Amino acid sequence: MNNRQDKRNRLSRLWDWFWSPSTQFSVGFTLISGFLIGILFWGGFHWTIEASNSEEFCVSCHSMETNLGEYRQTVHYYNHSGVRAVCSDCHVPKEWDHKMKAKAIAVKDVFYELIGSIDTREKYEARRIDMAKTVWKKMRATDSRECRNCHAFEYMDFTIQETRASSEHQRGIDEGITCIGCHQGVAHKLPPNWLEEYEKLKNPVSATRPGRLWVDALANAGTHQSYSIGSPAE
Amino acid sequence: MLEILGTLASNALSLPGILGLGIGMMTRQPYLAGSLGGLVGMLEAMIFSGFSLAQIGALELTFSVLVGIAAGMIGCMIRRKGVKV
Ligand code: HEC
Ligand code: HEC
Ligand code: HEC
Ligand code: HEC
Repeated sequence: MNNRQDKRNRLSRLWDWFWSPSTQFSVGFTLISGFLIGILFWGGFHWTIEASNSEEFCVSCHSMETNLGEYRQTVHYYNHSGVRAVCSDCHVPKEWDHKMKAKAIAVKDVFYELIGSIDTREKYEARRIDMAKTVWKKMRATDSRECRNCHAFEYMDFTIQETRASSEHQRGIDEGITCIGCHQGVAHKLPPNWLEEYEKLKNPVSATRPGRLWVDALANAGTHQSYSIGSPAE
Repeated sequence: MLEILGTLASNALSLPGILGLGIGMMTRQPYLAGSLGGLVGMLEAMIFSGFSLAQIGALELTFSVLVGIAAGMIGCMIRRKGVKV
């Protein structure tokens, strides 16, 4: 009882001290130290966010290793020019507001890692389609923004692309189809029922952002086929 | 739900949260602080949508304004509690 009161007193004294006017520090000292602490804090914050974009960080979680293995067999990891895209290039936006939002939402994965939602091969495959749909929905809503950080129709030389690629890309431009509308499975294996599930996404009921509905409207215009580089997972 | 939490967190960490708090600390009137904070929220939604009204999502706008107002109010509380003038 006594002990508890003591503790309470100490806390409330600390609280009072925190809000008491300072007589010892000059305004200049307070400002300069606040400024320095601010810089340190901001630097540390920025560093943490950057560090959490590295491939090592993503695969530090066992749950992400399946994707790492599959991605290593694709052109985004190993190719003739040696330029590559890491996990965060495709999965984490570059713009501040979108990035902070993605990072904040990703905190949920710490929880899923702890309960082991995808910690075995079987669990992973059972959950893959739902996760893939989450990613597809995001990419459809943003017109594949992360792909377009590196690739853009405007800078593609259609004369040196295969005929099928250049004619499909022209169709993509004309009909407003976004990259993910044709390039599912660029980095990972696809689940067996992927095409059917992807087609379902084209139902605009899934669009929750009124301002972005046009993306879906455009993507729905005309029929389109899907092409993929990864083969369906067994 | 995740979308909402994520939007809240990202706003608390950008202009509405930080500038809103700072501006709130400049006044002792909670309503003024709140409105200025809300204004910052609106400004941010505009900046991030490249100043084209059609591009602003309703969700984004609502949340950045709400976070701005809250931050402004908290800033004002800090001012009242921590400064004698
Ligand atoms: C704390 C461990 C952990 C880390 C670190 C981690 N992940 Fe995950 N991630 C998970 C788990 C667990 C899931 C499964 C969530 C579920 O079951 O819904 C997941 C799901 C995903 C999904 C599926 C879509 C979604 O939003 O649910 C993507 C994409 C993803 N992670 C990408 C990444 C990337 C990119 C990084 C690095 C920037 C990363 N992850 C870092 C544990 C982690
Ligand atoms: C960090 C930059 C970067 C990002 C982000 C990126 N890519 Fe790539 N992509 C590349 C590079 C570089 C190559 C070419 C590699 C080479 O052949 O040298 C490539 C190649 C490709 C290819 C050709 C595949 C082949 O077999 O020749 C396709 C298709 C592709 N990307 C689609 C996508 C899609 C879809 C996305 C978004 C999910 C995306 N890329 C995101 C850099 C990127
Ligand atoms: C209408 C369907 C469609 C759309 C939309 C589309 N592509 Fe393609 N793309 C194809 C086809 C088909 C190919 C050729 C076959 C293949 O490589 O799978 C191809 C090939 C490519 C290649 C390889 C080109 C080469 O010459 O090696 C890249 C890179 C690529 N696409 C990137 C993109 C990006 C980035 C976007 C979004 C800006 C996009 N594509 C949108 C259908 C499409
Ligand atoms: C070239 C872009 C690209 C890169 C690089 C990439 N991903 Fe993906 N990722 C995608 C796309 C696109 C999807 C959506 C599903 C699909 O189409 O395969 C996806 C889906 C996922 C999923 C959902 C489950 C699934 O298998 O579909 C997880 C988890 C994931 N990625 C994690 C990672 C991790 C971890 C890395 C790095 C080792 C990584 N990704 C690198 C583009 C990429």
